[in-house]
Amino acid sequence: MDFFSRRPFLYGIFMVIAVVLLLFVITNKGGATSSTQISESSPGQLLNWPWIHRIFGVDSPSHPASGSVLIPQPPEKDLCLHCHITGEDKGLWTPLARWMLFGSVSLIFIFGVYRSANLWITRSPWKPITLRAAEWVDKRYGVSEPLSKILSKPVPKFALRWWYCLGGITAFLFVIQAITGIMLAFYYKPTPEAAFSSIQYIETQVRFGAGIRAIHHWAANGMIILCIAHMLRVFIMGAYKSPRELNWVSGVLLLVITLAFGFTGYLLPWDQRAFWATTVGSEIAGSIPVIGNLALVFLRVGWNVSDLTLSRFYGLHVIILPIVTLLSMGVHFLMVRRLGIAKPL
Amino acid sequence: MSDDSNNTIQEKDTIPFYPDHVSTELRVVMGITLLAIIFGVIGLILPVGLGEPADPMNTPAHVKPEWYFLSLYQLLKFIPKTAGVILPIAAMIMLTIWPFIDRKRDVSLKNRRLRFLVVVVILLVIIALTIWGEVS
Repeated sequence: MDFFSRRPFLYGIFMVIAVVLLLFVITNKGGATSSTQISESSPGQLLNWPWIHRIFGVDSPSHPASGSVLIPQPPEKDLCLHCHITGEDKGLWTPLARWMLFGSVSLIFIFGVYRSANLWITRSPWKPITLRAAEWVDKRYGVSEPLSKILSKPVPKFALRWWYCLGGITAFLFVIQAITGIMLAFYYKPTPEAAFSSIQYIETQVRFGAGIRAIHHWAANGMIILCIAHMLRVFIMGAYKSPRELNWVSGVLLLVITLAFGFTGYLLPWDQRAFWATTVGSEIAGSIPVIGNLALVFLRVGWNVSDLTLSRFYGLHVIILPIVTLLSMGVHFLMVRRLGIAKPL
Repeated sequence: MSDDSNNTIQEKDTIPFYPDHVSTELRVVMGITLLAIIFGVIGLILPVGLGEPADPMNTPAHVKPEWYFLSLYQLLKFIPKTAGVILPIAAMIMLTIWPFIDRKRDVSLKNRRLRFLVVVVILLVIIALTIWGEVS
């Protein structure tokens, strides 16, 4: 601790200030003349665009001559807000990354200087910022006691076997589905005219769009498989028995919701396979004895699969079903938490 | 929880939820994330793709539902329609209320083996129907 005592610290600060001043004086020699030269040419325009247009044989930026190279607009006129989507590199990310990196580093540096000076002045013992933040919150809201109670709950060792992870993986896949689904929803248009082409746009134009769609597609299939696997595990091991009956019922509800997610999501690309899969799928629902026609009309919003069906499936897929899933998942987890994991024989 | 008393877990057979259990879960989550990223990279090279745009006037030759409804669809081809629809609904209702029917506590591994056998048979039937539906 002697190394960080106050006197060397003070010398250190003076040395840093002296070095910075020295560097400033050295680098600023003759800097005054060059800065006036820049401001003398054209303010805010580093490149001489009329000159560039002349040597490439372009008459004017808006009407390029035939056969000549197309020159982009000067940067202050062509903001190109969609370049980050379409992949044209107009350098939107580089300045952002630069600002993020140097900005956060300098903020951390300023904060460090402030904290060090504060510690030195107040003579208080040093504590990491995370601990200080936790104490600040705890002093006001008293969360540490219930939180430690929740976190210290003992979990049986047998729950570390891989077949106990199936339900948790299903829940995590739902998180992945939510994230990638929101990403896809930014570019998807739920109308018969635009749905197909918006998916094409995601597949070909949006950066990593094909990858995000692939994750959403495969994780959806994985979620159904893991849901069924988790259910079979619970069934075989008899974990549904008293007192865990309602855990099982809510689990069945979650399986039905997952299948409904799959069914409604399958229509959204609006290609031939999706359209006819939904047609035959809703036909199955239509052949239920008493309420068949009602179910059919509810699913299709009419007697045929149409633009209204697409809107309804989209609404179900992105709003209704996620809300219902979150609620049921919350109930399911609370019940599992309350009763603990069933002990195998 | 009172009837669970003969089945309680000893203190020495447990680990604390945090940090022991959470760190294991975190490893699983990281593995699944890695798997998802691998699928995403594969998807960039080999996209999921799109078929022809939907055309309500033009029915394609082989109309099929999603794979998880394929077995049901295949079943519906061979049994009367009403029975084929009532069967899965009855199965779902049966599945939902199953814990209220099977109330006897397991005393040996015999019941577990029996349930395992039932699951295997049902799964084999469903997989067979799905494959049949896929190739037909």
